[in-house]
Amino acid sequence: MKKARLLTLALCLMLMFSLSSALGFAQTTVHVTVLNSKGEIQTQLEEIAEHYNRATSGVKVEIVPCPVGQSPFERTMAMYSAGNAPTIAMLDPADVVRFQDKALDLTAEQWVRDAIERSLDRSTLPNGRVIGFPFTVEAYGFIYNKQVVDKAVGGKFDPMSIKTTADLEALFRKIESSGTGALVISPMDWSLGAHFLAVSYTTQSANSSGIDEFFSKLRDGKANLAANRQFIGLMDTFDTMKKYNVDKNDPLSGTYDRGPELLGEGKVGIWFMGNWAWPNINEFDTANGQYGFLPVPISNNPDDYGNSQIPVGVTKYFIVDAEQSTEAQQKEARNFLNWLVYDEKGQEYVVNQANVIPAFKNVTVEPKDPLAKSILEYVMNGKTLEFMTQLPADHWSVVGASMQKYLAGAIDRNGLADEIEAYWSNLQ
Amino acid sequence: MKYGKAKARDKSILGYFKYGFLCILLLIYLCPFYLVIINSFKNRTEIISNPLGFISKTNVSNFVNAFRQMNYLDAFINSLIITSISVLIIALFSSMTAYFFVRFKWKINRFLFFMMVTSMLIPFQSIMIPLVRIYGANLKLLDNKWILIYMYMGFGSSLSVFVYHGFIKSIPMELEEAAMIDGCTRVQTFFNIVFPLLRPTTLTLIILNVLWIWNDFLLPSLVLISKANRTLPLSTFYFHGTYTADYGLLMAGLLLTIIPVIVFFILMQKHIISGIMQGAIK
Amino acid sequence: MDTAKSFLKKLRTFLIFAGPTTFVFLSVVIFPFIFGIYLSLTNWDGIASAYRFIGFSNYLTVFQDQFFWNSFLLTVRYVLYTVVFVNLVAFALAYLLTSGIKGEKVLRAGFFVPNLIGGIILGLIWHFVFSRALVFLGKSLNLELFSYSWLANPQKALWTLVIVSVWQYSGYMMLIHIAGLVNMPKEVIEAALIDGANDGQRIIRIILPLMAPSFVVSMFLTLQRGFMVYDVNLALTNGGPFRSTELISMHVYKKAFLAQEYGIGQSQAFILFVMVAAITLTQVYFSKKLEVEM
Repeated sequence: MKKARLLTLALCLMLMFSLSSALGFAQTTVHVTVLNSKGEIQTQLEEIAEHYNRATSGVKVEIVPCPVGQSPFERTMAMYSAGNAPTIAMLDPADVVRFQDKALDLTAEQWVRDAIERSLDRSTLPNGRVIGFPFTVEAYGFIYNKQVVDKAVGGKFDPMSIKTTADLEALFRKIESSGTGALVISPMDWSLGAHFLAVSYTTQSANSSGIDEFFSKLRDGKANLAANRQFIGLMDTFDTMKKYNVDKNDPLSGTYDRGPELLGEGKVGIWFMGNWAWPNINEFDTANGQYGFLPVPISNNPDDYGNSQIPVGVTKYFIVDAEQSTEAQQKEARNFLNWLVYDEKGQEYVVNQANVIPAFKNVTVEPKDPLAKSILEYVMNGKTLEFMTQLPADHWSVVGASMQKYLAGAIDRNGLADEIEAYWSNLQ
Repeated sequence: MKYGKAKARDKSILGYFKYGFLCILLLIYLCPFYLVIINSFKNRTEIISNPLGFISKTNVSNFVNAFRQMNYLDAFINSLIITSISVLIIALFSSMTAYFFVRFKWKINRFLFFMMVTSMLIPFQSIMIPLVRIYGANLKLLDNKWILIYMYMGFGSSLSVFVYHGFIKSIPMELEEAAMIDGCTRVQTFFNIVFPLLRPTTLTLIILNVLWIWNDFLLPSLVLISKANRTLPLSTFYFHGTYTADYGLLMAGLLLTIIPVIVFFILMQKHIISGIMQGAIK
Repeated sequence: MDTAKSFLKKLRTFLIFAGPTTFVFLSVVIFPFIFGIYLSLTNWDGIASAYRFIGFSNYLTVFQDQFFWNSFLLTVRYVLYTVVFVNLVAFALAYLLTSGIKGEKVLRAGFFVPNLIGGIILGLIWHFVFSRALVFLGKSLNLELFSYSWLANPQKALWTLVIVSVWQYSGYMMLIHIAGLVNMPKEVIEAALIDGANDGQRIIRIILPLMAPSFVVSMFLTLQRGFMVYDVNLALTNGGPFRSTELISMHVYKKAFLAQEYGIGQSQAFILFVMVAAITLTQVYFSKKLEVEM
């Protein structure tokens, strides 16, 4: 009863509040809209905005979600077309440069100097202008449930011991003989196309120019994937995964939610996914929060580049609109971004509430989530690969579909190589 | 209502067999709703591990959260304003237009009518961006309930004119002629004689348009930007994340969205069933 | 003088009766549509401030795009199945629900209920049914048919779309057919009964021909909805597995907004419009003719 009354009161207050703002009582307030394209942290971002609005005066930050079924690019584009551009838009890395004639120059911001190495790669134009704020660092690989693998190897599992496809297979076998499923492959096109297959791109070379060269070969139709060492190695690993996949009888049926359930409950030892899955795994956790990443091996030579590294990179950028927003809005938008980096509360919220790994050296807040910790370890030891965020926008969908066919046995390895090559050479 | 009473009740064994069959089929038809209802009381983990299980404990937290996060009252009022005004405007103007098109067979009328019918086949995605460019970037009219209502009138009039057109054709001209001889103007004739005759069709169209506008997502998502203007479907869809959804919350939000429509449906049920049928056959 | 006056009078009548509708219709639907056609002749990508006129080269690209035509053919298949099954189920329901059994009204209303929910949500519910509920049921009861998710199989995934469409539209089309049935002259049916025609003969020989008008309406609506389907496609199969259920609207959408080739997407949409209009209007034309002849 009391609760109900409180609720009514809260609703009345909310109503009054929205009315008063609609009637223009708070005319001096600057409105900053933030388009959020990471739906899973909508509530957390709203809380952050609420806190920010309370802590500051004269500004109101509002988080606008990007609805299901619309890509961040499409949503931003529609909002621009509508003359209602968000002050701050959260974009996928490959889309940032497309908004270059609309985005505010952020080169002079302090956080540009505090950003970790290479985190501004996708938001820096050829002329050196920085237009994007790196919001999230993410990484992916094989996530293992420590309890399950410890039991399988009979002791304390050492993630560094997995350096080759053969090591991985041995681990799968051990997990299976300990009475648990080895791994689950989630068959979503984005996971297979944008993440798994991309390992074969990023391991082509330890530096970006080498990878870019490989991409131009693909575009020119000159990269022979079927004879490419990294591609063959990665697919060998994939074949091994297919063999031990708990869903091998019906490989395309799984949904995303099946992964965290099986891994968290210890029904499988390993799941190929990224650190964004932590909140989901946490819901089912039976391993006291003990999880970590393993690299995806691409050969049987432990020293090969890629066998002890995992892909890490910035996966979302903020751009500030310079075309349709007022000077005051742009200024407040910059203040808000600074607050996320330099304010203690802001840092704490970003790291431990939104489960986001920030891309800034000055942020020292210790993350509580085990996957973030595991990533930081890889980063600290310099064991990272470049996260392929520059892929063409429909790559995940088209090439992901080809990977699904391969997973289901509808095409063989040559067929897969042909389809991937055809996709790249048909790009305009 | 000539059906229903037209025939004596079929009391044969075959009749009971048909009845049983239809009841079972109806249960299958309603299964998805059953799933929505039971799962709206569960949390995410319960849903994932046992989607079919009965509710173990009555847990209304999804509804409370959904209600709060959707800003339910605001969104409900927005939906109500937009839907009711649009629907009434469409009914009024479409019936006048259809009447005019039927009674005056001018070339321009025939052309406009053909254009309206054909326009029902335009994929919405192909006018979406030009539409927001014209009304947003050029005219700066977006983020406003009234412009959304205006657009609903534009998109909704085709079907309504089409349906009214079919029905008005069957109204005998004599009634109108008599009224005109009595000194009524065209407009008076329409409102005094024709419009009342169109009542079943009007009800049909109101119902169809309510269902469409109340549930519509894409158009308001383009037109209404600020939180204060959001309609119910706009608020519901945000429970869906990039990788996964909070199903319990989503289902609760869905139920909260469609409950008003269901209440409306129950109230109007008699008219719906007769209305749609009378409108459709012509 | 006289003609001018009568023209003004005509104009006044036009403006009073059709003015508002025509104005709003033209400004909301037709102008953006024409503007869209213009954009399809440019190389605009959706965001850039500058773009230029490039003539018909987008259209040439579309005509050579194998994926576009595959998707179109797939959509034709889907529409064919949907039109047939929606109308079969709808007619069967209508026939049974006008035969005087008890609870008719409640049953009619019940079958109409699926129309109360809009697109994306509906797709999400059915996704849930096919990927979780049915699989759960299949595994617990050891039913081979349901043990594997239908959404994971290219053939069955198309059928899931058909099933959901039938579920969604049959109630609505049922009402149209009921209307056709109850407005039928009773004498005809009674005469047939006296002649000793059985149920089957009665339907085929007497009722169906008289039902032509309601079939015209329901065919038009099912064709239109079939070709335009997007929401359900998105939420239920999202085009998968491996793009095997990517229907034409989704293909166009992905081209314009995912591949970010807005001009090409816009051209595809226009070609789609022309083809659907041709098919649908031909259908209406021929069935109207048929109707007249019968």
